[in-house]
Amino acid sequence: MRAIAYSVAAMLVLVGLYLALGGASYAPAKVADPCVKRSWRGPQGFEAVAEQIVLSALDGAACQLHVSREDMVLALADSGRREQFIREHDISNARLESLVRNGLKRSIGDAQNAGALNATVAGVLRGVVGNLPIDELLDLLQRLRGL
Amino acid sequence: MQPLAARNRIALLGLSVGLVLADSSVVTLALPKILVQFDVEVSTLAWALISFNLALALAAVPAAALARRRPVGVFGVSTVVFAAASLACAFSPTFGVLVGLRAVQGVAGAAVVVAALDLLSEATEADASAARIWALAGIVGASVGPAIGGILTQLFGWESIFVLQAPVALIALLALRGVQARPVPEPAERPQIAANAALLLVSGALVAALFLLVILLINGWRLEPLAAGLVVTIMPLAAIAATRVAGGITPLWTRAASGAILIAGGLAALGWLPHAGVVWTILPQVAIGAGLGLALSALTQRALAGRSGQAVHGGWTIAARHTGIVLGLLLLTPIFTADLNRNEDNALRAGTAAVLDSRISPLDKIGVARDVLVAVDRATADGRIPDVRAVVDHRSDSAYADLGNALQDQLDRAVTNAFSHSFLVSALLGLLALVPIVLGRKEVGV
Repeated sequence: MRAIAYSVAAMLVLVGLYLALGGASYAPAKVADPCVKRSWRGPQGFEAVAEQIVLSALDGAACQLHVSREDMVLALADSGRREQFIREHDISNARLESLVRNGLKRSIGDAQNAGALNATVAGVLRGVVGNLPIDELLDLLQRLRGL
Repeated sequence: MQPLAARNRIALLGLSVGLVLADSSVVTLALPKILVQFDVEVSTLAWALISFNLALALAAVPAAALARRRPVGVFGVSTVVFAAASLACAFSPTFGVLVGLRAVQGVAGAAVVVAALDLLSEATEADASAARIWALAGIVGASVGPAIGGILTQLFGWESIFVLQAPVALIALLALRGVQARPVPEPAERPQIAANAALLLVSGALVAALFLLVILLINGWRLEPLAAGLVVTIMPLAAIAATRVAGGITPLWTRAASGAILIAGGLAALGWLPHAGVVWTILPQVAIGAGLGLALSALTQRALAGRSGQAVHGGWTIAARHTGIVLGLLLLTPIFTADLNRNEDNALRAGTAAVLDSRISPLDKIGVARDVLVAVDRATADGRIPDVRAVVDHRSDSAYADLGNALQDQLDRAVTNAFSHSFLVSALLGLLALVPIVLGRKEVGV
C-alpha cells in the first residue's frame, strides 16, 4: 500500500506543478471580439493611419458576420480562402465586398473626425475605396510599401 | 550437436521476445518517411501499426495452443516466417503490401513469443522465473522500439529496421540447439480475466506514450528521428530501473496499481504540458517508463501465476496487450486528427493576430500575412508543420525577429495543444485499469 501512496503523491505533485505552470491554458491565443470597439490610438504617419482604418473596417465587417477580424483577413488573403469563407458563411462575394467597403468608408470618417486625415485626403480615399475592387485595393496597399 | 548453455538459451529466447514486441512500436518514428514514400493519408498510415498489432492479438491464443504441443517446431518455423516477412517489408512496392506483410509478421511473431515462453520454462526449469524473464523482455522490447526505429530510420532509412530484424530473428534460432522440450499434457485453465483486462487498458493507455509522443517530437516539434529516438530512451531506461526494484513491492496488485497510477499521471502531465520543448517531457516519461515496468511485470506475473500451460496464458496476455494497443490506436487517431484540424484553424487566427499586432511596417503586414499563408499551404500539402520563422527570418529588423518568435510560439502552442486531449484520454484509460486490478486483487495469492 505504501507504493500506491508514493505513486499517488508523486503524480499529484507532477500534474499539479504542470497545471500551476499553465499547462491547462497552453493553447493558441484567443483572438479579440471584433464587436468590442477598439480605441483610436492616434497613429502617426500615413502608413499607421491607413493600418488603423483598415483594421477598424475589418472589425466592423467581422462583427456583422459574427466572425473574428482575423477570419476576415484570411478570407481576403487569396481567392481560394475567400471562396471557402463565402461557402461556409452562406454569403455572396458582393455582400462580402460591400461589408468591407462600408467598413472602410466608416473608418475613414472616424479618422477624419479624430483629425488624423484632412478632408481632401479623406475624400480621395473614399473615392478609391468606393471604386476599386477589394483585390486591387489590397494589391495597391502592398505596392505602396515599395514607394 | 552440442546443447547450448541454459544462460545463453535464455538470452536468445529473451532477445526473440523483445525483438517481436519491439515491432509493435518500432516503425512509429519511420511513419513520416513511409507517409511520404507511399503518399497515403495520415489515417491510413496508422494501419502500418494496426495490422501488426491486430494480427498479433488474434493469433496469440491459437498459436499458444499449438506451441504447448510442439514448442520447438512452432518457434523454429514462426521465427523463419517472421524473418522472411520482415525482410519482405523492407522491399514492399506499395503501402497495401506493407500492411499485409506486417500482418504476416504479427501472426508469426505471436507464435514466436508464446513458444518462447514454453522454451523459457524448460530452460529455467521454473515457471515463475520464465514468466519474469519473458515479461521483462517484452517490456524492454516494447519500450525501446521507438528509439531503435528512430535511430535506424535517420541513419539508414526506414527499410533498415526490417532488414536488420531478419538476421537478428534468425540468430535466436540458435536457442533451439539441443532442446528436447516436452509437450504439456494437462489442459490449460481459464485465463485470469482481471489481470488480462488490466493489461488491455494499460496497453491502450501506453499507445499515447509509445506512438503519439514520438509523433509530437518529430512532426510537431520538428526533431530529427535520431534525436527523438534518443529522447524517448528515457522510458525504457526508467522501465528497466523500475523492474529492478519491482520485486520488493508486494503484493502484486499494489505493484500493478502503482504502475497504472504512474502511467496515468505521466500521461496527464503530457496532456497538460506548460510549454513546448523536450525538457518538459522528461519527468512524464520517467513516470510512464517506471509505471510501465511495474504494471506490465506485475500484471503478466498475475496472469500466469498458478496456471498450468504457461504458453496459453502467455498467449492471453499477448492478446490482451495488443488488443489494447489496437483499441488505443482506433480510439486516439480520430481524437488526435480532429484536434489537429481544430488547432490548425486556431493557429492561423492567432498567427494572423500576431502579424496584425506586430511592430513591423503596417504596409508590410499584408505581404507577410500572405507569405505565412503560402508557407502554411505548402506545408499542409506535404503533410508537415510549416517553418513560420523562416518567412520573416531573412529580415534583420528586430520587429521581424519578434514577429517570428510570436508566430513560432503560436504554432508551438497549437501543435502541443493538438495532442492534449489524446494524452488525457490515455491517462483515463490508465486510471480505468485500476478497476480490474483492485477487483482482481484476491484472484491469486501472490
